[in-house]
Amino acid sequence: MTDALLLYLAVLVPTLGSALLPLAGRIRPGLRNLLALAMVLTPLVCSALLLAGGQTVTVEPWSIFKLQADKLAVFMAMISSLISAVIVLYSFHYISHYENQNEYYFMVVLFLGAMMGLVYSAHLLLLYVFWEITAITSWRLIGFFRSPKDVLRADKSFLVTVAGALAMLLGFIAIYTQTGTLDLTRIPQGTVLPNLVALLVLAGILSKSATLPFHTWLPDAGVAPSPVTALLHAAVLVKIGVYVFARLFIVTFALTAQQQDWVLLIAAASALVSAGAAMIDTDLKRIIAYSTVSQIAFIFLGFAACPLVKGGAGQEAAIMGVGGALLYILMHGLAKGGLFLCAGIVEQNTHCKDITRLGGLIKTMPVTAVAFLLCALSVMGVPPLGGFFSKYMVISAAAAERPWIAAVFVVGAFMTILYLFRVFTMVFLGQPRGELAREGSYLMVGCVALLAVMSLAAGLLINPPAEIVHATVLQMLGIVQ
Amino acid sequence: MSPNLLLLAILVPAAAGVLALLMRGRAGAVSGPWALLATAANLGLGIFLFDKQADLNLPWAGFGLQFVLRLYQFSGFIVLATACFGLLVALYSIRFMAGRANRNQFYGWMLLSLAMVNGAVLANHLVVLLFFWEGLLGTLFAMIAIGRPGAWRTATKAFIIIGISDVCMMLGMALAGWQAHTLIISDIHLPLTTSVCTAAFVLLMIGAISKGGSMPFHSWIPDAAVDAPLPFMAFLPASLEKLLGIYWLARISLDLFELTPDAWVSPLMMIVGAATILLAVSMALVQKDYKRLLAYHAISQVGYMVLGIGTAVPLGIVGGLFHMLNNAIYKSGLFLTGGAVEHATGTTDLKQLGGLGRRMPVTFACFFILAASISGVPWTNGFFSKELIYDGALARHWIFYAAALLGSVLTAASFLKLGHAAYLGKPAENSDVKFDQVREAPPSMLLPIVILAAACLVFGLGNALPIDHLIAPAFAGTHFAAAEHGAAEHFAGWPESSMLVLMTCLALAAAIINHLLGAKRAGSGLGAVDHIHHAPGLAQIYDAAGKRYFDPYDIGMALAKVASRILWLIDRLIDGVVAGLTSGTARGAGYAVSAAHTGSYALYVVWSILGAAAVAAYMLMH
Repeated sequence: MTDALLLYLAVLVPTLGSALLPLAGRIRPGLRNLLALAMVLTPLVCSALLLAGGQTVTVEPWSIFKLQADKLAVFMAMISSLISAVIVLYSFHYISHYENQNEYYFMVVLFLGAMMGLVYSAHLLLLYVFWEITAITSWRLIGFFRSPKDVLRADKSFLVTVAGALAMLLGFIAIYTQTGTLDLTRIPQGTVLPNLVALLVLAGILSKSATLPFHTWLPDAGVAPSPVTALLHAAVLVKIGVYVFARLFIVTFALTAQQQDWVLLIAAASALVSAGAAMIDTDLKRIIAYSTVSQIAFIFLGFAACPLVKGGAGQEAAIMGVGGALLYILMHGLAKGGLFLCAGIVEQNTHCKDITRLGGLIKTMPVTAVAFLLCALSVMGVPPLGGFFSKYMVISAAAAERPWIAAVFVVGAFMTILYLFRVFTMVFLGQPRGELAREGSYLMVGCVALLAVMSLAAGLLINPPAEIVHATVLQMLGIVQ
Repeated sequence: MSPNLLLLAILVPAAAGVLALLMRGRAGAVSGPWALLATAANLGLGIFLFDKQADLNLPWAGFGLQFVLRLYQFSGFIVLATACFGLLVALYSIRFMAGRANRNQFYGWMLLSLAMVNGAVLANHLVVLLFFWEGLLGTLFAMIAIGRPGAWRTATKAFIIIGISDVCMMLGMALAGWQAHTLIISDIHLPLTTSVCTAAFVLLMIGAISKGGSMPFHSWIPDAAVDAPLPFMAFLPASLEKLLGIYWLARISLDLFELTPDAWVSPLMMIVGAATILLAVSMALVQKDYKRLLAYHAISQVGYMVLGIGTAVPLGIVGGLFHMLNNAIYKSGLFLTGGAVEHATGTTDLKQLGGLGRRMPVTFACFFILAASISGVPWTNGFFSKELIYDGALARHWIFYAAALLGSVLTAASFLKLGHAAYLGKPAENSDVKFDQVREAPPSMLLPIVILAAACLVFGLGNALPIDHLIAPAFAGTHFAAAEHGAAEHFAGWPESSMLVLMTCLALAAAIINHLLGAKRAGSGLGAVDHIHHAPGLAQIYDAAGKRYFDPYDIGMALAKVASRILWLIDRLIDGVVAGLTSGTARGAGYAVSAAHTGSYALYVVWSILGAAAVAAYMLMH
């Protein structure tokens, strides 16, 4: 099988195939579920094969439809599809209690397909098209339960992210007038964008990745079914913004020192404000969502902490920062996906999301509780879980160039420990406050246990992911082609 | 020897620990003997590795993060010491933990802790050290949480306090690494002259003294003394954490940074040390529970070590390191006597105890030696290490000496009270304890206590053995030893200054007189310090401390709550503005466009003409 074919399959199977799922659902729901899982696994397998191939693959069948699979894109595609696969598996049981299942699987798979398209896009217009497909599908998914409140929240997330995307589109137009092309492979690496253009593009990125000041749609989107929040908040949607940041401002363009300062200030404010909100809020899913906002800021920290100079000690710090940010995407995706899926089990079995009315669940839900704790420890950055390495690396990179920013993020790391322990102790320890619900189904508990074990394995066996990330960073920074 | 053997010191206890965790239900009965076997193997490894040198370098996480271990005198010494404590505590726990439902977890987390400590001590790369060091967070949490019901609150408190200081250490390591252009510990030698280096030192110091249990990172220890299974106290807060924390404090002060008396961090450390000694011992003085009293001493004694190392003079540093070893011996021994009392009587509440000396003579005799040692009675090991610290402190400023000496008076007074209340006098009236059924602890629990008490005497009378063979080699090769006066100095033997010895004896005499007078006035050993406890002025302070007004953890949590509330308000404000702007813009645009669509054909024609004109104007201009 040629690499080009793999690339097409990775993008087109979920994008186009998703339309078949409602039909399959008419025939048999079980068939539809398995088909959906297969369509999510296809990009995972294809991306893994592309990774094994090691070559940068480019296909350009039609003017703006240009796909490119470099190491960054493959890495991102693998993480997204891996976590999505676990989420789809979990959905088999979770979503079987609700109506409109055909729509659900259609939207989820289309969403992942659009994500694959976005990740592999080598043209800004194509990227924009896929970007908006994710916005539309996530609008439908957030409003899945269809109550007026759900629809309002879905509208909010749609409006905020699309407003940001329109600003970004203006930025793309300005990029076109400056460079004469929207083909990312033709723009000379290291081009500097004027402040206004950079800000416009940044507005789109920040709104999509739920970063201050465009972050509040994310906690509000917690009304969605839990696998959807896991998909949107943890694994895929919010990582779109981060990925495009890396694609544009690290691989293609370069930020000036001043622009980096803006990004870091926004990220620092985002880390602290959302951590504070996570300490106060009492809704289980909103707290985890605020935690996502806070952790995304750490990823931006890694990407923007160091000037991307070639050679010398500065290069070492930049490699550390970008590598840490990429590892962070992996570790956070695994752990946060696990947290949301645990929250889904708690919510479905207790019919309650208010942590002040929960408690003592470790007695009846031991596996969920331990999985939640492991994932929380990974987000906190406690060894031997994977989150330790990524947190150390981004903080370390910041310490090299901007110690004060690093100190602010250390405070953010304190607060991460506080709010995650607050949630864990209130929900799982102490006296039972509500009814003691039973453990989730084997399939759902198996999924959260799988994510927790992967978080642990990613730390104990750090070498393979770190090697992939290291090679990716070298390619991104243009040190090795 | 092959450097790969170093991995065994981590893998053997870790694998044994994971296996012990799996011994659930009835298999838990074998977890104790299994842990004994594993700790014995670990001790065998420790003995084998001692006095050897090895370097191991394996690929790890990329990005300059290699798995580098180094065995040399100092790390070999700490590995050996922790292995000894591991074996003794495992032996002791077999009877103490027998029959408890989650004993396999206790042994499992204990063995994993041993693996982490070995890893942290052997690490020769900052991130490897941090990996194992922070990894102890998980085992610490678990070991406290498996205590009595509700212990998870204390476990959470411990986790948060240590976790926060570990994050500080993470930043300190990153700063130090970039300053030194390497993360290999043995290659880092930074002067304490620039502000970045000093900041890095302070951050690393926070991690070290927090692990050691110094103030202001101490407040979980007395709570854990009550909530956690007792052998945990002898194992982590009394011995392993002290060894690890002070080991690291010594490493950063001696190797990684060139600590000199001129650097302002030296007085900082001395102030932290002196404050810890005095405040914690004052709290210990008024405790009415055997274990809580010991827990405050576990905090107070760290103060001596921090003070000793902070003096930045060779006498003080050697004294601090010797005290680290001595404290681990007598403090874990004392906790084990507490466990023996709890095992025999079912309580550690001093109001319920009394007259145990006749029923438990061996325990009492050992308690006597261990208490003498912690009080610094001549010829015990605690005496010699304290004298060295006094000498070092006096070389800097008399006020630090005075604080340390006052701390010794109060230490002696509180142990006179404890010994009197628990072992002497008559059995307490209205006690739930059936004194006629109280028996001496079983041999497997007594043996560790006897060994530790004997070690106090051996390391006291023969103090040249530990100082010349364990501590001096660790001290050699540092920038202090390289200085002209350092190498020639000899630290073992009877203290050089007779004045200091005289002062110590006077201090002990003061403690005894105070106790006799106090006990006579109150009519009981337990009330011997009531005249201090209820003294005007002090009574109110003790009252407030008893209500936890001074707990840094509670204060910090309250501040965090306030800060979070403010941040949350900011979040709500942003939400209102951004949501208002986007929905307002969308709604406004909708109204404007719909207002333009009136259905009037004429108006549409006007719009079309205007639009065409605009396009034409644009094309003409370009």
